[in-house]
Amino acid sequence: MYGTEGGIDMALEFQSHIPILRPSIHARRANLTVKFQDLYGFTVEGNVDDVNVLNEVREKVRQQGRVWWALEASKGANWYLQTQISSTLKSSLTFSALGNAVTLKKLIRKGIPPVLRPKVWFSLSGAAKKKSTVPETYYNDLTKAVEGKVTPATLQIDHDLPRTFPGHPWLDTPEGHAALRRVLVVYSFRDSDVGYCQGLNYVAALLLLVMKTEEDAFWMLAVLLENVLVNDCYTNNLSGCHVEQRVFKDLLVKKCPRIAAHLEALEFDVSLVATEWFLCLFSKSLPSETTLRVWDVLFYEGATVLFHVALAIFKMKEEELLTAHHVGDVINILQKTTHQLFDPDELLTVAFDKIGSMTTTTISKQRKKQEPAVMAELDERLRRLNSLRADNK
Amino acid sequence: MATMGHNNLNAKLVLLGDMGAGKSSLVLRFVKGQFLEFQESTIGAAFFSQTLAVDDATVKFEIWDTAGQERYHSLAPMYYRGAAAAIIVYDITSTDSFTRAKKWVQELQKQGNPNMVMALAGNKADLEDKRKVTAEEARVYAEENSLFFVETSAKTAANVNDVFYEIAKRLPRAQPAQNPAGMVLVDRPAEGSRTASCCS
Ligand SMILES: Nc1nc2c(ncn2[C@@H]2O[C@H](COP(=O)(O)OP(=O)(O)O)[C@@H](O)[C@H]2O)c(=O)[nH]1
Ligand SMILES: [Mg+2]
Repeated sequence: MYGTEGGIDMALEFQSHIPILRPSIHARRANLTVKFQDLYGFTVEGNVDDVNVLNEVREKVRQQGRVWWALEASKGANWYLQTQISSTLKSSLTFSALGNAVTLKKLIRKGIPPVLRPKVWFSLSGAAKKKSTVPETYYNDLTKAVEGKVTPATLQIDHDLPRTFPGHPWLDTPEGHAALRRVLVVYSFRDSDVGYCQGLNYVAALLLLVMKTEEDAFWMLAVLLENVLVNDCYTNNLSGCHVEQRVFKDLLVKKCPRIAAHLEALEFDVSLVATEWFLCLFSKSLPSETTLRVWDVLFYEGATVLFHVALAIFKMKEEELLTAHHVGDVINILQKTTHQLFDPDELLTVAFDKIGSMTTTTISKQRKKQEPAVMAELDERLRRLNSLRADNK
Repeated sequence: MATMGHNNLNAKLVLLGDMGAGKSSLVLRFVKGQFLEFQESTIGAAFFSQTLAVDDATVKFEIWDTAGQERYHSLAPMYYRGAAAAIIVYDITSTDSFTRAKKWVQELQKQGNPNMVMALAGNKADLEDKRKVTAEEARVYAEENSLFFVETSAKTAANVNDVFYEIAKRLPRAQPAQNPAGMVLVDRPAEGSRTASCCS
């Protein structure tokens, strides 16, 4: 079975035998930087406070687990699935289903326990439904069919495998590389417009760690690119990504006007940092559990959460950013902040309570508004490059 | 610390060139004095800063090391916009990378800051036996396009610092009442205003 078992074991390992870290008294006194493993096996660097925060996060994760188990016990194992069906069929909406939907949204914003993530993500994101529309053997058949094929996408994937979270105890092993390779290669054949786009390596790698099987990771990647995110984020000159960046800049002006004005004065284009956030869905910037907490909401509520989180990162550091005089200072503040956000609630509280609501409809309108400008800009650049080529040959 | 009559410059510098030409390696060599085989792949561009003292000035480079597949090139304008300098890198063992470099030069000539200081770096000069692009060919091209040209090796460190020094020397010095795009004059007192409302 394509060696998925290794993935399962490793991922489970991280969740069950996590040693509680007790920083030594020496480390405490000296406020040293220590290296430690986080919930998903990533080695991170931080000071003693960060280690403590991470231990608290582990405890909160356990508490959340108890809440979820209690709900399953009282409402039935798949209670959260009913909320979805009934919330789309408004006529048959029952009080209990409505209650469940409200509970579920709140619950998800507080975090899905890592052990339940595979199951909950798979159903709520629409991945299960997507998978059910094709034969059972779809993934395995496609895997076999594309074996040994060499395309520009496969070459690029091979180039990136060792450069995707190097040093991770499972991802950076021959087994991990092989699993990640199959997910990305198979997807590149499923959608030849996307093929393979750099950035997806990080996204698929985290999906593998969470979902524990290649096949489920593959379907999560499919639902993400085909339903959850805005179209063309990874294709066609990354036009979807350009659109999101413009929408984000407008939102920053609206939601954080002082920061926006200050950065504008420094000639700092926020896309210099935010592009990577959106393309990698924060997986390269935020600690793993914090990233996955964002993804919990992403898979249930949709891509609007990415704006909430990006705005929150700026908002949290408003005062500090306003004293920055150089582009380099701004980048250092943002990088340091994102790398140290070990407590997901710290970020998500700001993201939802301090940023204010943004409906999916409003965001969709903003996107529609920006699309023509992005297309014009990209076309213009292509035309210019082609004319350059013609001049010189 | 800035002294009287001393210029303190901040200069945005962008590295452009084919994937694998050695952009990241050049930056790593310049900033940290290291050479590594595997680095985590960059999405978009990575930022570094490094300060150099040259003659009459201290230049703080804000370096953007761009990265990625062809489709990522659509992001390039955001990195070269307002840049005071650019290093266009090719790999002397690849003619394709040299062709790519010329395209970047043309794009910058048309779209970049007109006063931009541009350097052409033929990297991997240590791989003499695999050479495909002659130094002569590149020199002629560079002269025609008023670029500063040098062959480098991030591996042996040959000429790496020199490229940055040469750029620092060629940067237009800030003149009173003039502040060219991409150059921020920071010759203000160290205890300068820390107010939130900064004006440019
Ligand atoms: N021999 C040799 N190899 C180099 C040199 N510079 C870079 N490389 C190698 O070329 C490959 C690509 O380098 P990298 O800096 O990642 O290129 P980039 O894609 O332009 O950033 C890496 O394996 C480097 O180790 C050099 O000067 N000499
Ligand atoms: Mg690079």
